[in-house]
Amino acid sequence: MLLIECPWCGERAETEFSYGGEAGITRPADPGALSDAEWADYLFNRSNTRGAHRELWNHAQGCRRWFGVERDTVTYRISGSFRLSGASDNREA
Amino acid sequence: MQPQRLPTGGRIDRSKPLIFRFDGRKFEGYAGDTLASALLANGVSIVGRSFKLRRPRGIVGGGAEEPNAIMQIGKGAHAQPNLRATQVELYDGLVARATKGWPGARFDLGAINDAFGKVFSAGFYYKTFMRPKSWWHLYERVIRASAGFGRAPVEKDPDHYEHRNAHCDVLVAGGGPAGLAAALAAGQAGARVMLADEQNEFGGSLLGAKRNVGDAPAEEWLRRTIESLAALDNVTLLPRSTVFGYYDHNFLAIAERCTDHLPEADRAGVRQRLWRVRAKQVVLAQGAFERPLAFCNNDRPGVMLASAVSQYIRRYAVRPGRRAVVFTNNDSAYETALDLAEAGSSVVIVDSRAGGAGPLGERAAQAGISVIAGHVVTDVVGRRRVRGVQVAGWSGNPAYLVESSIRIDCDLVAMSGGWSPAVHLHSHAGGRNVWDAERHCFVPGETTQANVSAGSCNGTLSLRGCLREGNESGRAAASRCGFEAPDIELPSTSEGHENPLQPLWRVPADAEPERCPKQFLDYQNDTSVADIRLAVREGYRNVEHVKRYTALGFGTDQGKLGNINGMAVLAECLGKSIPEVGTTTFRPAYTPVTFGVGAGENVGDLYDPVRKTAIHEWHVAAGAPMENVGQWHRPWYFPRDNEDLHTAVARECQAARQSLGIMDASTLGKIDARGPDVVDFLERIYTHNVGTMKVGRCAYGIMLGEDGMVMDDGVMARVGEQRFYLTTTTGGAANVLAWLESWLQTEWPELEVFLTSLTDQFSTIAVVGPNSRRVLEKLGCSIDLDKDSFPFMTVRDAELGGYPVQLFRVSFSGELAFEINIDSSYALQMWKTVMAAGEEFGITPYGTETMHVLRAEKGFVIVGQDTDGSVTPVDLGMNWLLSKDKDFLGKRSLARPDCVRDDRKQLVGLLSPDNGTVLPEGTQLVETPDAPVPVPMCGHVTSSYMSACLGHPIALALVAGGRARKAETIYAALPGREPMPVTVTAPVFYDPKGERQHV
Amino acid sequence: MSELLTRRHGLEFLLAELGGSRMADPGASVTIRGDLGHINLRGRASDAGFLPPVEKLLGQALPIEPNTVSGERHQVFWLGPDEWLIVTPAAGALELAERLRQATSGTHASVNDISGGQIALMLQGAECRELLAKGCALDLHPSVFAAGDCAQSGLARANVLLALMDATPTFMIVVRRSFSDYLCRWLAHAGSDVGIAFRDA
Repeated sequence: MLLIECPWCGERAETEFSYGGEAGITRPADPGALSDAEWADYLFNRSNTRGAHRELWNHAQGCRRWFGVERDTVTYRISGSFRLSGASDNREA
Repeated sequence: MQPQRLPTGGRIDRSKPLIFRFDGRKFEGYAGDTLASALLANGVSIVGRSFKLRRPRGIVGGGAEEPNAIMQIGKGAHAQPNLRATQVELYDGLVARATKGWPGARFDLGAINDAFGKVFSAGFYYKTFMRPKSWWHLYERVIRASAGFGRAPVEKDPDHYEHRNAHCDVLVAGGGPAGLAAALAAGQAGARVMLADEQNEFGGSLLGAKRNVGDAPAEEWLRRTIESLAALDNVTLLPRSTVFGYYDHNFLAIAERCTDHLPEADRAGVRQRLWRVRAKQVVLAQGAFERPLAFCNNDRPGVMLASAVSQYIRRYAVRPGRRAVVFTNNDSAYETALDLAEAGSSVVIVDSRAGGAGPLGERAAQAGISVIAGHVVTDVVGRRRVRGVQVAGWSGNPAYLVESSIRIDCDLVAMSGGWSPAVHLHSHAGGRNVWDAERHCFVPGETTQANVSAGSCNGTLSLRGCLREGNESGRAAASRCGFEAPDIELPSTSEGHENPLQPLWRVPADAEPERCPKQFLDYQNDTSVADIRLAVREGYRNVEHVKRYTALGFGTDQGKLGNINGMAVLAECLGKSIPEVGTTTFRPAYTPVTFGVGAGENVGDLYDPVRKTAIHEWHVAAGAPMENVGQWHRPWYFPRDNEDLHTAVARECQAARQSLGIMDASTLGKIDARGPDVVDFLERIYTHNVGTMKVGRCAYGIMLGEDGMVMDDGVMARVGEQRFYLTTTTGGAANVLAWLESWLQTEWPELEVFLTSLTDQFSTIAVVGPNSRRVLEKLGCSIDLDKDSFPFMTVRDAELGGYPVQLFRVSFSGELAFEINIDSSYALQMWKTVMAAGEEFGITPYGTETMHVLRAEKGFVIVGQDTDGSVTPVDLGMNWLLSKDKDFLGKRSLARPDCVRDDRKQLVGLLSPDNGTVLPEGTQLVETPDAPVPVPMCGHVTSSYMSACLGHPIALALVAGGRARKAETIYAALPGREPMPVTVTAPVFYDPKGERQHV
Repeated sequence: MSELLTRRHGLEFLLAELGGSRMADPGASVTIRGDLGHINLRGRASDAGFLPPVEKLLGQALPIEPNTVSGERHQVFWLGPDEWLIVTPAAGALELAERLRQATSGTHASVNDISGGQIALMLQGAECRELLAKGCALDLHPSVFAAGDCAQSGLARANVLLALMDATPTFMIVVRRSFSDYLCRWLAHAGSDVGIAFRDA
């Protein structure tokens, strides 16, 4: 069971989190302008990385924040967590 | 009474005799015995039968590696199959049965298999039972009956198991000399330490060996060390606890056996406990397994591991034989020879090495033990018990044939083929194993987690080395957690140098392995040298494939005993080196664990949380059977006077349609959404136009996944300029909130919207039927309820019967209806108040079944029942909900070619001409009644009920191109019946114009 | 609101069922605090229109450090970087929520009275850390989880807010109403070996 560092709550057991897939998938600004193939690429295709993978996690049982994790998909080693741009951060207030 | 028990010595308590039964026979042992030591003390040599060949088998080992003495312990519901007798502590009244052999291990009807040994070679099952294919179900029945170990009890498990989460700085797995030294160093440094060992006593190899630590016997060092550990508050000692799995990020699982060692009458409280440990650092000190030697008939009862023989003598005061041959390729077994001699047995050492042993050899000579160096044991005489061995000279030449041999009579063969470090946990953790060419064993290589191996599981076999490595690894682990250990002086030990081991993976014989008696590598699975060679001849090359073809290392063994010899034989056949061949993968569990300890307290009523509404107890008191909806328990129907479901639901439906019904709808998900950008946000989420909704208006809304499929639905209301109240399906509540948050946080963080779950805060009471307005008016409502002041699909704050409520004029039944949202603290009183006021209208509580019938009559879908994640709003005929003026999640997907096909499955109604049959939900629909198999399906039934109000059954279905097929006949495939013709209709059966809800 | 209305926390039936468990010296005891109100507060700490008026109204600081409690006039729990839980006597909760709403009306904030949606249980006794460890994966060692700390996590199979209110120790467990019956049954079962008593505040 992974030990995941929530940027706010610190290290918690994997059972507190839910997985959100690959990070950095941006919703197209104007989906209507996309071809079927382009839309399908956004919808279905992911990098399926072997090695360092940036992915989204949600601290579902905790502070309910979404954040990013860089995890090695071979060793499962997590090299770090990061907040998403625009995330609330009351410590920087 | 106990013919093989020594008069003195051992760690047993002769003042506490214990009576036990094995295969129906009664025996006596002592407190401190294991079942295995007690059986040996009683001279029982046959303890089981081998898996395939049903050969008689005796005890081989002394611990987790034991392949033969696999027992069913206990009776009835308390029974446990698959236990190794070597690990079962004896208690008074213990009942054991060999898991192999029928009617018993001594006399087994299956033993005839051995006579056909040639048939039962590697891959036997794969080859023999393939043809004819149609007979497989017959073969399977027979194979299943004769396979496996033991029987799972059929009764409900009455015992209490629990889980315990734990955190520590340093977890030490294994409490032998290395583990104890590690725990002591880390504990004295101040780290939070857990020390787990699978045995009842800490000490590991020291418990079964004659050693000195410092200038005193090892027992003295053991006693002082355990006392020191017990005195430290920061150290948790867990005896009888097996670290059976090492998972990601230093998460380890330990099975603690709390009461299994006690007589059944004395057991109380938790039987077994699962420790779920997150450790900052792990010290692995699991020890090593002695390797058997692969000579002919090396499975005869009386052939044992040398270290096990020593353990039985030293720890349990049991002499496993009177005339022993010690067969070894290394020095360590000489200690066993000395132990045997001290116990009064005659001993001959057969050493494969021409040069014999180091200083231990001299000690053996001084003790009068004859050593036959440069010789090997080629074969065993005796069938149900060793009666002698054949010994032949061997020059160490790789030629595996010997010329002539002599016979030595004996009743015990103590063998040692060297040592295999227990690298199991290191491997679970993802660590590699590397071949140590000097010590001829796999040792832990690079590790991917925060652990270190110490002592003999690291290939360090000397006691001195174990103490040193244990101490160093404990200090280092504590230091990495910020605790510095004081320097201590390590005690000295009395070991001399040893002569190197001579690799001997299979022992020479007087014929090729295929032509001589079997040389077993894996006793439990009857895998022999010849089987490995056969697998290679048949083309297997990869070690993982050979393992599966020959079953080497299967069962409870999991690569403990025969693994390395097997790999080496495979390497020889392939002409490769052992590291080139590699090892198989070790996986949890290290030894078998019970289902009980895995389940812990999540059984019975606590199996899954039962969520209850604030009105739940009223439903229970009213006698309503409950239906599980997600984790919620919802009343299914409210029977009166022993009504059955059908009768009760018919009555409830009529009441709601004709006068007044009431339903607890509190399980709906409820979300408060507010903020300056809430309209902008919800426009992107819902398919309809949100911005045009006036304050006080409600709308039926659906949300789609980005793939265009319907994800959830529900009524949403605008309760303020910048504030909405969203409802979701019962099952979708948590997912929808998480989904909305994910868009807000990851994609549109610039939108100022706050979402708060109010699912539990508000209870929802649906008051349904033509008299619903009247009953609310009777209660006293602060707002006008007439249809112009409070029209359909609006919401108002109000005071009702003295309670502050939020009143919705919505309907999931098609009738005039109101939904009362009220603080759950008052919901039960509100419910009772409405019930009392509704009495004159015959108010009728109804449950989920009636709700379903009412909504199905109206063609209202249930997301997750009438949809399955592959249904678009267009498929459901909801085009009117799809805004053309804006983008929303999933909109683009609706234009994908696959989503605009005419032949997609679409929601329709079905009527059966016989007007009697309620089609089972899930029924497959076909075009013609007599199409040849495989019959193409054209759809399936999603909802199906008897409609009391219409007087006939109704069904909703998804049918390919269904909307264009109104009035056509298709067929319902019913099991065991002729396909039934059904007519496709519109999905709305009742009040198609929707007039009743608007009154 | 009418004085006739009496709040129900929903565990009355369970208490009656477990009523016999009044033992002399239980290893753990659970007090059901139906007398406490709960307010969910959302806003940005960096927002000058939010934090100062809220703190002025409450008469205490909001905990900004994650997973801490500010316990003065009210118990305020950090739930997220823009989310807090205020626990206060039930009698004044609605009014406090309304005043908070007014105080933050000029900015993006959210105030919801959720007193009916969740329940606070006080867990005390010598064995309560061991009891919690049976169902909670948090490290509750005093050196790690100290008085004034709180965390949202799982207890058995329910989501909870867990806080150490004092070092005696007294834990506060806040659980959603619909899960409270399950959680109390789990506590009763898991605590049966050390002895556990339930009572109403």
